[in-house]
Amino acid sequence: MHNVAVLLSIGRHPVSGRARRAATDAQALEMALALRPRRLTAIHAGPATDTEALRAYLGMGLERLTLLTLPEGTDPIEPLIAHLRQFDPSVVLTGRQAEDGEGSGMLPYLIARGLDAAVVPDVVRIGPTNAPDAMAGAADLVQALPRGQRRALTATGRFVATIHPSAPPARASAFGPARRGVIEPVAAQATADLFLSDCEHRPWRPKPKLMRVKRGGSALDRLKAATESKSGKGQLLVNPTAEAGALAIYDSLVEQGMLP
Amino acid sequence: MTTPPTIRRRVDPRAERAARTILTGQRPRLLRLPVAATTNERRRDPRAIRDAALVQHHPRPRYDWTRDAASAGIAPMMGAAIAAAPAPPLQVIAEPAYLILAMLDRPGGEVSEHDRQVIAAARLLADAGGGAVVTVSTGSGEALAVAGSDRHVALPDGWADDYVPERRAAAASALMEALSPRHILFPDSPDGADVARRVAAAAGERLFAGVQSLGPDRATRQSAGGSLETGHRPTRLMTVAADAFAPLDGVRHEARPLDLAAPQTAGEEVLPRLGGARRLSVDPDALSLSETDFILSAGNGVTDWGSFAELGEALGATRAGSRVVCDAGHLPRERQVGASGTVVSARCYLAFGIAGAPQHLQGITGVRHVIAINTDLHAEMIKRADLSIVADAQAVMPALIRLIRERRHA
Repeated sequence: MHNVAVLLSIGRHPVSGRARRAATDAQALEMALALRPRRLTAIHAGPATDTEALRAYLGMGLERLTLLTLPEGTDPIEPLIAHLRQFDPSVVLTGRQAEDGEGSGMLPYLIARGLDAAVVPDVVRIGPTNAPDAMAGAADLVQALPRGQRRALTATGRFVATIHPSAPPARASAFGPARRGVIEPVAAQATADLFLSDCEHRPWRPKPKLMRVKRGGSALDRLKAATESKSGKGQLLVNPTAEAGALAIYDSLVEQGMLP
Repeated sequence: MTTPPTIRRRVDPRAERAARTILTGQRPRLLRLPVAATTNERRRDPRAIRDAALVQHHPRPRYDWTRDAASAGIAPMMGAAIAAAPAPPLQVIAEPAYLILAMLDRPGGEVSEHDRQVIAAARLLADAGGGAVVTVSTGSGEALAVAGSDRHVALPDGWADDYVPERRAAAASALMEALSPRHILFPDSPDGADVARRVAAAAGERLFAGVQSLGPDRATRQSAGGSLETGHRPTRLMTVAADAFAPLDGVRHEARPLDLAAPQTAGEEVLPRLGGARRLSVDPDALSLSETDFILSAGNGVTDWGSFAELGEALGATRAGSRVVCDAGHLPRERQVGASGTVVSARCYLAFGIAGAPQHLQGITGVRHVIAINTDLHAEMIKRADLSIVADAQAVMPALIRLIRERRHA
């Protein structure tokens, strides 16, 4: 882990709509700082609006941050890849999905393709590998899975990791370092994003929740299925001995796959 | 749908007289013998309906209005008719105009709700122009026929348990080459979205992620952190958001295995850069209640907190409690289940000494399997549970701990 790059975006508060540091990007920066790399590069690519929000990242302990200034409505992938190639990072960290703009979550994958790196989604921990037969430069990663489960895996070579929200929380941003930090603007060329300009946008209206509708039966049956919760269908044991009750519970748990 | 209830004959003197009248002669003549007059079909007989609905005379009359009064006497026949309910007709698309690929997750081998929703979304695109839905997943396609799959491509069985996103993506890209489908849909689940983005990056195509509504001409998704709705023509690669489409019901397609020149193995020669994947054991008490799968919960009927903790450890379950327990300080506040605590969606909920206040039952509406142990037979929790045991929690908990240890050592 000599050379780590972090890709930072400008987030958007979900209620007030104000520009802020993006939550998972801040966690990515936190993880990068915890790795104590020899060289840490932080990059933001985008139009030169709301760039003051980037100072929140500087307040976390960054000294400088590169700002690739792009015209409005352009694709940031090409300039980012070109810029990252100069630094040749072994690890690129970023958030899972942008809080503003298209938010397709494609950026880490396209960057990885441009840099010929592996992609590891939903990472919560990164460390040097412990396996003795592993190649140099391999890293042990821990991924977050649904339902709080975790998976360990080894990545060889350069990789791009996206950070899961259950990764260690980002430290608070301090005001003094945020003022002292340097944002270095770099002008870059980018091509216009024709797909996005082809899309039409309108304010999101919440959709009605999808309900399981039971078909068939009488109107009364359908009403019951829609309104009543399941009740009275279970097995009932009245005053069994403690052992019989425990056995019934055990069998039921085994049947549900909760016990081996 | 229903046959009209039994009709009492209504006496209509004028109609009877008209029926008996013969007008052939010089003057009208009246027949002596009675002639059956036409009955009024629309007349209902409330007494007959009431008699048919009566299911119990003693000690007090009880009526079951839900059953059809006319068919009350032929209940067994109705049961037989339900048992032989016809399967929905098989829909065959022999010559599809185009193909829609649905790449399914099938976590743990079973077809998830999200997978069925993806097939439903694929059917929207396929049915618009006579196309066919091709499902791609591990395992056989028989379970997918009722979800709406026309053709099925089985991936190697070993991929079900291993974490092989690069190989899955390579297989998807190979299928894209071989079948040239018009659209490819993925579930927007952690694994499905990952594979979709790998395929999109490799193909250099635009991914329309998290589709919320879909038609042949227009697809929409949420963008800008959920504040905007973005619409576009359906692109080639799309992921389908969870709970955006209703899964299909009452359909049957053929889910025929598709003969291919082994494109499934196309992913085998990819040298994976990610390896050594293994599940880590997780401390169940470190999980939040909303994401855990197995909850052991205590209510006011639990006094033996030592065995409760021991049981949680033996089962590997996350400990939780009702409001009373958390108020009393036996468990921390974030371990409270219910309306004012956490609404849980665990797969299994084991409740000791919980009576089942409405607010608590509200918190466990999403739970699939509930086991309740309570001393009160008439508690609401006993009615809600799938397995209810009327016994003292303090007696059952040590017995269950002993049983688990016995079985583990045996």
